[in-house]
Amino acid sequence: MIANADALLKPLTIKGLTIRNRVMSTSHAPGYGRDGKPQERYQLYHAEKAKGGIGLTMFGGSSSVAPDSPAAPWNQISVADDSVIPYFRQFADRVHAHGGKLMIQLTHMGRRTKWDTEHWLPTISPSPRREPASRTVPKEMEEEDIARVVKSFAEAARRCREGGLDGCEVSAAHGHLIDQFWSPSVNQRTDKYGGSLENRMRFGIEVLEAMRAAAGDDYIIGIRMSGDEMIADGLSQEDCLTIATEYARRGLVDFLNVLGGQARDHIAHAISLPNMSFPVAPFLFLPSAIKREVDIPVFHAQRVTDLATAARAVAEGHVDMVAMTRAHIADPHLVKKLSEGRADDIRQCVGAGYCIDRIYVGGDALCIQNAATGREATMPHEIRKADLRRRVVVIGAGPGGLEAARVCAERGHAVVLFEKSGQAGGQIGLAAKAGWREAMSGIPRWLVAQATKLGVDLRLNTEATEAAVLAEKPDVVIVATGGTPFRGHAKGAEQHAVTTAEVLAGAVEPTGSVLLYDEMGQHNAASVAELLAKRGCLVEIATHDRMVAEEVGTTNQPIHLRELYKLGVVMTPNMELIEIYPEGNRFVAALRNTMTDAEEERVVDRIVVDHGTLPVDRLYRALKADSVNHGQTDQDAMLRGEPQPFDLSTGYALYRIGDAVAGRNIHAAIYDALRLCKDL
Amino acid sequence: MTSFMPLTTVFPGLVWAMAALALVQVARRAALWRVGAAAPVAWLHGLAQLPRRYLVDVHHVVARDAYASRMHAVVAGGLLAASLLTALAILPPLAGSRAYWLLVTVAFAVTAAGSVLVGARRYPVKQKRLSAGRFQILPVLLLAYAVGGTLTALMLALGAGGIALPFTLGLAAAGGLGLAFEVRQGPMRHAVAGALHLAAHPRPGRFEGRPDTALRPLDLGAPRLGAEMPADFTWNRLLSYDSCVSCGRCEIACPAFAAGQPLNPKRLIQDLVAGLNPAEPAYAGNPYPGGREGQGERGPLARLIGPDARIHPDTLWSCTTCRACVEECPMMIEHVDAVVSLRRYQALERAALPEKAIGPVTELRQAGDPGGRPLAARTDFAAGLDLPLIAGRGEAEILLWLGEGAYDLRYGRTLRALVRLLRRAGVDVAVLGAEERDTGDLARRLGDEATFQALARANVATLARYRFSRIVTADPHALHALRNEYPAFGGHYTVVHHTALLLELIRAGKLVPQTLPDLSVTYHDPCYLARYNGETEAPRAVLDAIGLARVEMARSGKRAMCCGGGGGAPVSDVPGERRIPDLRMAQAAETGAGIVAVACPSCTAMLEGVTDRKAEIRDVAELLLQAVEAGR
Repeated sequence: MIANADALLKPLTIKGLTIRNRVMSTSHAPGYGRDGKPQERYQLYHAEKAKGGIGLTMFGGSSSVAPDSPAAPWNQISVADDSVIPYFRQFADRVHAHGGKLMIQLTHMGRRTKWDTEHWLPTISPSPRREPASRTVPKEMEEEDIARVVKSFAEAARRCREGGLDGCEVSAAHGHLIDQFWSPSVNQRTDKYGGSLENRMRFGIEVLEAMRAAAGDDYIIGIRMSGDEMIADGLSQEDCLTIATEYARRGLVDFLNVLGGQARDHIAHAISLPNMSFPVAPFLFLPSAIKREVDIPVFHAQRVTDLATAARAVAEGHVDMVAMTRAHIADPHLVKKLSEGRADDIRQCVGAGYCIDRIYVGGDALCIQNAATGREATMPHEIRKADLRRRVVVIGAGPGGLEAARVCAERGHAVVLFEKSGQAGGQIGLAAKAGWREAMSGIPRWLVAQATKLGVDLRLNTEATEAAVLAEKPDVVIVATGGTPFRGHAKGAEQHAVTTAEVLAGAVEPTGSVLLYDEMGQHNAASVAELLAKRGCLVEIATHDRMVAEEVGTTNQPIHLRELYKLGVVMTPNMELIEIYPEGNRFVAALRNTMTDAEEERVVDRIVVDHGTLPVDRLYRALKADSVNHGQTDQDAMLRGEPQPFDLSTGYALYRIGDAVAGRNIHAAIYDALRLCKDL
Repeated sequence: MTSFMPLTTVFPGLVWAMAALALVQVARRAALWRVGAAAPVAWLHGLAQLPRRYLVDVHHVVARDAYASRMHAVVAGGLLAASLLTALAILPPLAGSRAYWLLVTVAFAVTAAGSVLVGARRYPVKQKRLSAGRFQILPVLLLAYAVGGTLTALMLALGAGGIALPFTLGLAAAGGLGLAFEVRQGPMRHAVAGALHLAAHPRPGRFEGRPDTALRPLDLGAPRLGAEMPADFTWNRLLSYDSCVSCGRCEIACPAFAAGQPLNPKRLIQDLVAGLNPAEPAYAGNPYPGGREGQGERGPLARLIGPDARIHPDTLWSCTTCRACVEECPMMIEHVDAVVSLRRYQALERAALPEKAIGPVTELRQAGDPGGRPLAARTDFAAGLDLPLIAGRGEAEILLWLGEGAYDLRYGRTLRALVRLLRRAGVDVAVLGAEERDTGDLARRLGDEATFQALARANVATLARYRFSRIVTADPHALHALRNEYPAFGGHYTVVHHTALLLELIRAGKLVPQTLPDLSVTYHDPCYLARYNGETEAPRAVLDAIGLARVEMARSGKRAMCCGGGGGAPVSDVPGERRIPDLRMAQAAETGAGIVAVACPSCTAMLEGVTDRKAEIRDVAELLLQAVEAGR
């Protein structure tokens, strides 16, 4: 048991509602909404957390209360009319059945949304200042707009109550409408809603008073707010303290859900959703300061990924509840595991930000390491035992192979896992060598620990040969041999380019000037550029894309860019590497501008490239002919969630997963493994 | 040879002389018991029950060591029979009967054979648990008496005689008078003191088929609380210590002794014995672990406990009150009562609790919980479960007594499993919530009777406000206090251990477990359930209902080894060479079981705290819930 676990597992009672422990998940927008409603997928995702022991799960980040704050942009929820109420009821029943409590976040996003998505209504804000993140110029709200939105909030609160939700919070963080009124960086009004802080607080007060009147004084209503906007013309920590104490003193809110920063542009957004480059709980001091001034419960979320930190935050009195939102995406059963004394089994969030990065490009939230999250209808978080014990051989202990071994072992199969190198983890081992990406190593660490605990025969430093595999008399062979870095098609690349993987592995140690050419737009090139620059190289990163690290999501790309700028790395987008040739003991790189076709040359000491990987498939091909399925996965059966339809009485079935099929990413490899193996 | 007195008279005369000597010796010893306090003894009943107590209850214990049992039957039976028969030969018709002497011969021959059995335990090498000293002479004296008696009687039977007779008679006399002399402070004392102790036993209930294990309430108004010196014990307790035959069965059973903590129950009893008489022969058994030698004054008024006294305080606080020694003692000595009497003096008169125990006991006194935790937090474990407070309803079929374990995160899991099972079975259950105070078990075992009584009275008053038909608890320590010790304070309840209730529910078809045949389990009996309350079957029956592969440890049931968690031992925390729970888990590991099933919060905490443990620790309720849920 971790230190202070008792503090974390103590119930909290707010207005007669007893939450069974101090661990919660904050409202967020996983992109699971359908038609503006929280339907089965959304509900099952939260019910899983309730099943896993969470005290309070809040859903519906930025659920909208009015049509001019559309629910469409992130497949979110609209609470703007009564049609959502039956869904709330069904949702609440699902969560309550497991002893959890359920609340929602209500908001009007003001200027922080798109006008061209759902209803084509202009965005609104206290003043017509453009928000960099949403790139909209809002309409200045008239008093009639204010009255209308206040009424919308009140109606939405009533719907929450009627829907059986245990409470709701309004969002006044991340630059939504209420904090647009608060923040002098947005609100430049001269009427009673602008000017002094007292005036700027007025809109929020009117909203909350109207919600109270509509939902009843005994209904739990909280607020999510920043403890410090951390921008020069924004709300200071003192302003936020004043707002918090004033709203609490007036009895407007039953809890304060405090975070640090705001999200008006890329870097602010990345800071408010801290990734693995940040220390854990970087902004805990903000709710802690507010807690000293108020007598209502204070919640906090921001990179609290481990229970020890969470327990400390509660035990030391910084907060009353700790939100472990991303931690629950990685492992929805973490509270249950803690209370069952199985804390070592918790799949800990590494802070890769894969979940949130996907939603900002219109995708659904998925966990880099847990392929069952968000797929509860089809993917199990707890693997059921198979009826028949099989002999399974997995080749390659990268994320895909490890997950395959883990899931097969959970199924009760006898599993042998071959790994050529001395360390499990595959390419993650390389990724973790790049500066702030070290926490990636947590992914294989958990998988190895689970596989070992489940009795997987992990054979490190053992290259699987055809004979070695067949000697195990396998029923199933899973090839997860991963990929090998590809040097690209540029003339001379094969002889003269080195790959980012070789740099990370330490096979090459570039010095002097380096041209890093990136065709992938992923973390690989950006993080290697940082690494080389830190080692003293003069680095230029050129890419075919419109921007460096274009495929990296919105909570990670700004951090890469910040580091690259700080390190003086030259960033050259819209370029293609067409040729490399040596000149003396240096190299010349010929680059072509993709827009103008103009060619340029660079003379550098080293040229590093990232073109992704190509499958390592020699063993697969050797084993294919004799397998009962010729190495083919029956995709229809897999997608239907049915066992692979092969008769194993005459031989072994052969499957190929992860980068050994085609170079993709960690989640793809793990999902390949889970969905295949859960039915094997 | 018939010049002044016939041998047929001298020989019985020897036995009569032996009896007289023994009587004198006993009287001298009994004078010492008289320093003890008065105690009510039902003499007539006790004496009437003596044969039964000896032949049934004592034999039940002795028979666990088959060799010792045979040995004792032969040597003691032979000795008694031969001596009685010889003594009766004072009657002329018998003295003149050759057939009678032949019978006497046989009796002495049996005694001789028994003497050899006695000697074989000590020569050439003494069994480790036995004491040396005067006990090493015992087989010699027995053999002398028996062989001398055999030969003498044989010659009388054959009508032979002559020159050999004085020698055989002399041999018998040397042995016989020696034995009689030993009745005061030698091995033979056990026979007389043991018989008297059986008749005057302070816990007669244990011979009547009920576990008479409740500590006696202490009159807190008495001028002196607890025992400081031998004279503070009642006279029949002093008598009971004198019955100790130094067989060492207690030390083999004692968990503290096994862990190398400075407690040896045999030595403790012998220190009480030696305390009575400054001239008592030196102790010749195994010492207190740690090698401390007896020191300090002796005498009925000499202080027994102290760093410089006969018994070091660490010895006193090492006891887990597990009653393993009591269970094993063939002389029916109540070691735990002695320990608690001594502790009471230390706690109440000297405020000399062990340093680490002061905090928990103070919290118990002030806050009603040894951890000083808010009473309302006792139900924290159940947040999210439907567990009503009895205060809101006034009555319930079952009152669930949560106990101290409810505060513990690990044990909360057990209680959650239990609550889920009760809910599923449709049991009408409620808890006291913030009204439940600790039963005071910890304070009572540590000798702080005042705190215990205050808590007992408060809890009895609380319980009097509500209607319920039974109390159910998962904590055997609470069960013992509520069931056996609260009646003295006016609280009379039907108290059921959770495993017994679960068995009832299974048998009534209200819980329908699936089988979990893949799991192998060994059940660890809690001392306060098995030894204190005699309940060993219900938990096993529940496990069997789940269809687990159940194996027994070498020590199980009423003879199970303690986990180390009782009697305040964990808070006293006297260092040893090993840890008791480590030893117990090693015993569990010998069974190869993957799960050690437990039924007590203390056992759960102690056994789960063992590092490098191979087996899982699961409460019976947790296993049953798993089996029940497997059937969904």
